[in-house]
Amino acid sequence: MMKHCLPALAKFLTSLILILFSLSTFAQEISKDAAVIKVGEELFNGNCKSCHRVKQKLVGPALAGVEDRAPSIQWIKSWIRNSAKVVASGDAYAVALYNEYNKSQMTAFNSYTDDQIMSILAYVKAEADKPEAPKGPQVTADGGGAETGASISSTYLNAIVIGMVLILVLLVIILALIISALKKYLDQKELSDEEKEVVHSPITVTTFFQSKGFIFVVVFLVASISFKTVIDGLYTVGIQQGYQPKQPIAFSHKLHAGAYEINCKYCHTGVMKGKQANIPSPNICMNCHTQIKQDSPEIQKIYAAIGYDVKTASYTGKQKPIEWVRIHNLPDLAYFNHAQHVNVGQVECQTCHGPIQEMEVVKQYSLLTMGWCVDCHRKTDVNTKGNAYYDKLIELHNSKKAMKVEDIGGLECAKCHY
Amino acid sequence: MQLIKITVSSAVLASCLLLLGCKAGGDHPGVEYAPNMYHSVAYEPLSQITDESAGTWVNSLDNGRGEYFNSNQYNQYKMNLRLPPANTVRRTANGWLPYRAGNDTISLRAADKLINPLDSTEAVLLQGKFYYEAYCQHCHGAKAGGDGLVAQGAKIDGVDHSAYPGVANLKGDAYQNITEGHIFHVITYGKGLMGAHGSQVSPEDRWKIAKYVKSLQKK
Repeated sequence: MMKHCLPALAKFLTSLILILFSLSTFAQEISKDAAVIKVGEELFNGNCKSCHRVKQKLVGPALAGVEDRAPSIQWIKSWIRNSAKVVASGDAYAVALYNEYNKSQMTAFNSYTDDQIMSILAYVKAEADKPEAPKGPQVTADGGGAETGASISSTYLNAIVIGMVLILVLLVIILALIISALKKYLDQKELSDEEKEVVHSPITVTTFFQSKGFIFVVVFLVASISFKTVIDGLYTVGIQQGYQPKQPIAFSHKLHAGAYEINCKYCHTGVMKGKQANIPSPNICMNCHTQIKQDSPEIQKIYAAIGYDVKTASYTGKQKPIEWVRIHNLPDLAYFNHAQHVNVGQVECQTCHGPIQEMEVVKQYSLLTMGWCVDCHRKTDVNTKGNAYYDKLIELHNSKKAMKVEDIGGLECAKCHY
Repeated sequence: MQLIKITVSSAVLASCLLLLGCKAGGDHPGVEYAPNMYHSVAYEPLSQITDESAGTWVNSLDNGRGEYFNSNQYNQYKMNLRLPPANTVRRTANGWLPYRAGNDTISLRAADKLINPLDSTEAVLLQGKFYYEAYCQHCHGAKAGGDGLVAQGAKIDGVDHSAYPGVANLKGDAYQNITEGHIFHVITYGKGLMGAHGSQVSPEDRWKIAKYVKSLQKK
């Protein structure tokens, strides 16, 4: 009896174990619950996104299908918690992965619970199963937005001009009426032949153009317009305000400084340190453009200059300078120092350079004449607050009024001309 | 009489037209007043003129070149800008020596042990904030949450512009225990998708940023 019983018991036990085992593997199954996916999404965005994307290889591999690719879910868990340990254990898959990604080690997330890792996997799977989104509109370098503000004011101007023309026409009609009325009135009087001739002299085109009034008006207009253009023209000599040269690369300050709000100092590194604000060298461009807009012909120009091969993501060493066109050409006879103005004076870049963050192509915004400099030095208060250098000066001068730049030598000739 | 009238009026017209050409705009920089006082004779790094015939019409030189030419003919591409010689230290570096550890995984791990030479004074943190805002904020965000505008992408005139992938959320669990030395090393050489910022930020400023990032993480 017992002999028959034993195999049955063994059968039962094995089946029980099998059921339990399958239950435990069931616990390893990736959830499709929206709440779990949401938790996973937050964890993924907070911790994984720096190096991983679901469908795109970044620093680390694309994670779509990782649950099928990796040896086991358990393996993924131990890899996430401490990848170095898995590699050190000699696990073949782990070693191959480590070598494939240039032996860069994944950060260890040893505080993660099983549930957290499973929720991340749930998010990855949900993302991977999503159908490919249609591609967004192609981004182009040229902005060229419609200038709605200008068009509104131009319609106003047109309306005003049309109104004025109408008024003038009305005036001409009224004048003609007055003339005919006067003629009738004079005809009723007794006039000599000479006077009659004057009254009835016909108004033809020739008499109009030869009239003194017309000649005076024309001469006056021509003289005043030419006087104005001569004076204006003379004032533009030596002033490069409005100079907006085409640059070798169509870099947009409107995009970089405006939309992305990248600080001016990020690229113009010399602005706090020296005379020149510096034109960034292409290695600063490459901080982003190793990834961003690789296919753009403008970005290709940077790659050509710095000698970067996109396909192998490596530098060839063949470099050549980008010949940017200098816009702000202060004459050599005047000295200007950026560090002094930005560091101590705490002048905003836009004070002199204008709304750079709105410029697609940069132009010289300010006059950059001596009068322009002097004007600012006369008006601007010296920022003496928290600057020990000025403490004694204020004490000695004991002035109630705020110190202007001219009071501390801002108008000395030799400060700028030497 | 007629002749005088014609000459005078045409002279006025011609001078008007000529003066109209003085104005700067587009590719035209405008007419210079006293041009031989405008152009630097000494080498200028950012306004060099490589054309040897430039300025021959105002020439006061007898070396066969134009007055404006001020490029170093012996350098490649006649460049005036030079890289500092290898293994030299800037005189104005206030005693800060260059960071010598290499750009490799061993140095990255060793950098964890580096100790910030600056004290955690309020002044240092304030300066750290200043430099963080200049060099880090557009990617890592004002509160180090990895949510700067560059990381999120921007919109101009209704057109979406690409976002930079993989900006680290410095408040995330993985970054809570990074040391100031690690931050310093990563600013210098970059890590993952982050580029190297050693050429932009001086070592002193990097340490200040590291201090500020740690203080941000605690907030």
